Amino acid sequence: MRSFTHINAGTVHETCALLSKYNGKAVLNAGGTDLLSTLKGEHLFDYPEAVINTKTISGLDYIREDGGVLEIGALAKLSEIVKSPLLKKNYMALVEAARSVATPQIRNAATMGGNLCQDVRCWYYRYPRHIGGPIRCLRKGSGPCLAVKGDNRYHAIMGGRRCFAVCPSDTAVALVALDAQITIAGPKGERKIAMIDFYSPLGNALKKDEMVTGITVPRITGPMKQRYLKFALRKPVDFAIVGVASVIAIEEGVCTDVRIALGAVAPGVVRARRAEETLRGCYINEDIVSQAAEEALAGARPLSMNAYKVEITKTLVKRAILI
Amino acid sequence: MAIKTGTSARKKAMKEQYIRLTVNGQRYDLEVGGEHGQVDPAHTLAHTLRETIGLTGTKVSCDNGACGCCTVLMDRKAVLSCMTLTVECDGKTITTIEGLKDPKTGKLDPLQQAFIDYTAFQCGFCTPGIIMSAKALLDEYASPTEEEVKEGLSGNFCRCISHYQVVKAVMAVSVKAR
Ligand SMILES: Cc1cc2nc3c(=O)[nH]c(=O)nc-3n(C[C@H](O)[C@H](O)[C@H](O)COP(=O)(O)OP(=O)(O)OC[C@H]3O[C@@H](n4cnc5c(N)ncnc54)[C@H](O)[C@@H]3O)c2cc1C
Ligand code: SF4
Ligand code: FES
Ligand code: FES
Repeated sequence: MRSFTHINAGTVHETCALLSKYNGKAVLNAGGTDLLSTLKGEHLFDYPEAVINTKTISGLDYIREDGGVLEIGALAKLSEIVKSPLLKKNYMALVEAARSVATPQIRNAATMGGNLCQDVRCWYYRYPRHIGGPIRCLRKGSGPCLAVKGDNRYHAIMGGRRCFAVCPSDTAVALVALDAQITIAGPKGERKIAMIDFYSPLGNALKKDEMVTGITVPRITGPMKQRYLKFALRKPVDFAIVGVASVIAIEEGVCTDVRIALGAVAPGVVRARRAEETLRGCYINEDIVSQAAEEALAGARPLSMNAYKVEITKTLVKRAILI
Repeated sequence: MAIKTGTSARKKAMKEQYIRLTVNGQRYDLEVGGEHGQVDPAHTLAHTLRETIGLTGTKVSCDNGACGCCTVLMDRKAVLSCMTLTVECDGKTITTIEGLKDPKTGKLDPLQQAFIDYTAFQCGFCTPGIIMSAKALLDEYASPTEEEVKEGLSGNFCRCISHYQVVKAVMAVSVKAR
């Protein structure tokens, strides 16, 4: 790794001030399990001048419920999310998603905020300098997207525009199904946006001088069956080829409320709203769930090598509702 | 320079410039800087352990978070030393494979002995990392089930396919604890 100035941040405010001062030339380091790959691979053309350690900010690792609203701080470790009795009781989709991330060692270091803000895994984008990279592409600001004509087996099957890299975060998918909001702090204070609006085809909603401080999940009314199902080549370590999260209320066999979120299929997390409408108010059986799965994927426009992801996603949607 | 145990006079001055680590019970005060023997901000913990302190038992294979060879215990939790910046470890307690044996008698940890008894390695490159992951697991749950052992070791890759013997070795220690 090339050297940089290292700063231990004391507060959120100080962090935003530093980001502002460095004007795009500083990066945050939380668990470091994603950032260190970026620094080692030097696959971006700009190497940061400063790395700001956020772990030294105290009080951002909470996992708590306040008046029925769940709050998780940006520095909460994924291993703590997996173990939390509170989350196991009411937010199983998030627990399953966090448990599916990487490996035990990585979950011991990785944070909520880092998981949501991690960079894409497109293999053209990440091609390391020491074996001939970095490779120019649209996401880096020049040239075309190489995945369109190249090997795009793990790329987006819907929602891609100019860049077809998918959002790699598992927890984001569960959080969208839970209708979560993400709290963003900047030099002028905090703002909240819906988790589903956080990602865009070329990045996320953070401005240069902003950071994520946490997420909130609105009160869950009544019993909800929650799932996060992940298809990956190896169960540990690997990123999702497809991830599906579902939150569903069923009363006497009839679906009274449902949210379905699709991950690793698009640049952001996708809500399968038409499928949800189909299920709402209906008696849940194989036929209606198959119909819903078809509708969830109605907007899919696979690239040359990834049509298989459409079928996997349909299967996971069915399983997430039926099992 | 790696200096062992600072005096209280020095302690005052070292707030920013020193990283204080306890590795296998031994205190190290490492100066931050770009000179030989110092800790550069870009040094990983794996680098510091191997190159600065000289504890080469911890191995680096992928250097990218994917294989688990570099696993050490930090405050009793298994972490990847290749994905950890040393400058962010101030005040931490680290255990490496060298720290498992009894410091006085030199007797191996039961886990290490089990790996020998069950021939749980071939080339041995993955072994320190696997043993450290297993150690963290057994510290948390004295007698994990086979399923829990497999889950606990799921971040460690063995290129030589010794993992069947590894699970047997860890289970032997797990069962003994029951
Ligand atoms: C082998 C391997 C397997 C992996 N498998 C998975 C997987 O299956 N699923 C998955 O989701 N991820 C996976 N990852 C990616 C990564 O480890 C996780 O996403 C992890 O949760 C990242 O968290 P972190 O705290 O380590 O992030 P960091 O590396 O510290 O940060 C990641 C990025 O987010 C930024 N950032 C961190 N915190 C904030 C904040 N509060 N506000 C704004 N920006 C911030 C950083 O600047 C950096 O750009 C894997 C990584 C490896 C190496
Ligand atoms: S998918 Fe995005 S990151 Fe990958 S080559 Fe295309 S533009 Fe670049
Ligand atoms: S060397 Fe650290 S995980 Fe492979
Ligand atoms: S014994 Fe050779 S890699 Fe595991």
